[in-house]
Amino acid sequence: MRNLIYIELYKLFSSTRTYVTFFIAMALMLIINLGMFMEGEKIFEFLLESISEYFIVNGEILNGYLVTYLAMNTLWVHIPVLIVIIAASIFAVEFETGTIRLLLTQPISRGRLLQAKVVAMIVYNFVFMLLTVLAALVPAYFLFGTGDLVVFLDGVQFIQEATFLKRLTLSLAFATVSMIAFSSLGMIFSLFFKNTLTSILLSMGVLILSTLLQKFVFGLFSAWQPFLFSYHFSKWQLFFMDEIPVQSILQSLGFMIGMILILYLISYFKFNKMNITQ
Amino acid sequence: MHVLRVEGLSLHYGEQQVLNEISFSFEKGKIIGLLGPNGAGKSSIFKVLAGLVRPDSGVVEKNGVSLNDISDLRKSCAYMIDSPAFYPYLSGRQNLQLICRILGVDKDPEKLMSLVGLDPFSQKRVSNYSTGMKQRLAIAQTMINDVDLLLLDEPFNGLDPNGFQDLITLLRKLNEEGTTVVVSSHLLNELEQFADAFILLHGGSIALDISKKDLLKQKKKVSFVFDSNPPDSALNLISKFGLYKDESQTAFLDLEPNEIARTVERLVDLGAVPVNVETQNLLESKYLEITA
Repeated sequence: MRNLIYIELYKLFSSTRTYVTFFIAMALMLIINLGMFMEGEKIFEFLLESISEYFIVNGEILNGYLVTYLAMNTLWVHIPVLIVIIAASIFAVEFETGTIRLLLTQPISRGRLLQAKVVAMIVYNFVFMLLTVLAALVPAYFLFGTGDLVVFLDGVQFIQEATFLKRLTLSLAFATVSMIAFSSLGMIFSLFFKNTLTSILLSMGVLILSTLLQKFVFGLFSAWQPFLFSYHFSKWQLFFMDEIPVQSILQSLGFMIGMILILYLISYFKFNKMNITQ
Repeated sequence: MHVLRVEGLSLHYGEQQVLNEISFSFEKGKIIGLLGPNGAGKSSIFKVLAGLVRPDSGVVEKNGVSLNDISDLRKSCAYMIDSPAFYPYLSGRQNLQLICRILGVDKDPEKLMSLVGLDPFSQKRVSNYSTGMKQRLAIAQTMINDVDLLLLDEPFNGLDPNGFQDLITLLRKLNEEGTTVVVSSHLLNELEQFADAFILLHGGSIALDISKKDLLKQKKKVSFVFDSNPPDSALNLISKFGLYKDESQTAFLDLEPNEIARTVERLVDLGAVPVNVETQNLLESKYLEITA
């Protein structure tokens, strides 16, 4: 099993497209940082005008922690797009290039191969999210320094500087689980359709539909909310509330872990029963 | 002694019956040629034996031991199925290293690559390999594990004449060391020279299962081309073994291999001097006879 995980990771980290996704995510974070560095003051002056009636703001609101939070908040819909490129190719590329035959004619069990691919996918998600957050945090730290965090989330939240890194780590862990859940969807499409582009498009379709439906928060639509991906993905922000709503976060975590397990089981049965005819 | 024995193997894809209750065996230490027109079921047999495709029915025995799961064959067989596929962004060496790692085998990929003449290209990415080079790499991959049965689907595709000869030499060497080699190919003349036995598939059934020894005992189709119509005495002789076509001034005879030279002599004695004598390959004529 260790050997299989090794080769899956080796393949993953030898592929150019893996680094392209890292590069794009990190570049986006840097661009946001630079944008905030050049125009941030003006943007904040404009934003603060709207709350100046209720609050007297002393000190510097624009700091590295706020920029990190804003950068992540801006990209939480874009990041799955990048991640799914890799997830959707996990099986599809093997079918497209015929290397699935190379693997399955070796004396290994299909179940173990699937497990190794899932582990590689989890590692990729973790590395991707870590690099993305670091690409947001590190430049922001040096360009803007640190300070207490003020965020507009269900009202205005004041987060003490000392607790920021802990909250960021927790939200990173949560976001990674979210991305693994979304990647599992990409992977299962990849297994069923054996085509990278189709799998990416279908995953994107689910994400777009979910994000769209999330906007309809009235009547019948509101009952769907707990079943939408994007509804649960967005919960990473809750770690930046003054009082962290643990119950709500745990519910979303449960939904996503359940989703990962269900998708894994479907993939397992599908892959084990599948005839490799190409 | 059979290295592999298959009984009642059936397979269908959707509505199409691909293999129809076929039974065959591979004799230990032999080179077996698997023949058949496109769609006859050759690749499907390889895929079933590699565990890629699950058959509807069939019993497989390896070295006399019945297998519960056909995919267990992979422990003692090596395969090359369809066109060779490798990770294009890795070098040939790295691709072999991956397979060594999967198999838990400590073999030097460089040595394997030099066996198939790829050592100068071992560091090159597979995306830069030609079809023939990929074919050679696929052969190198089958030699990673010590197996007693090698199943090669169309291994000669894309090889230049030198590559072809090198591969034949290599496969003969492996065979001499005790490996049973099963090769599917459309190159009937070459296969007749190379293999010890032949299995011909047609429409998902086995149409011919014959050893080379028995094949050679069969009559050959020989054509004699004349520059004018032969005299009646020669035509009488021709009619005993076959037929004569006026329009092409050619006689088509079925002769035992040892009768060919004698027949030429008799025709010359009777005043019919052939300007060209062509013998059709035994395997080819059998193939055409069955699949026509």
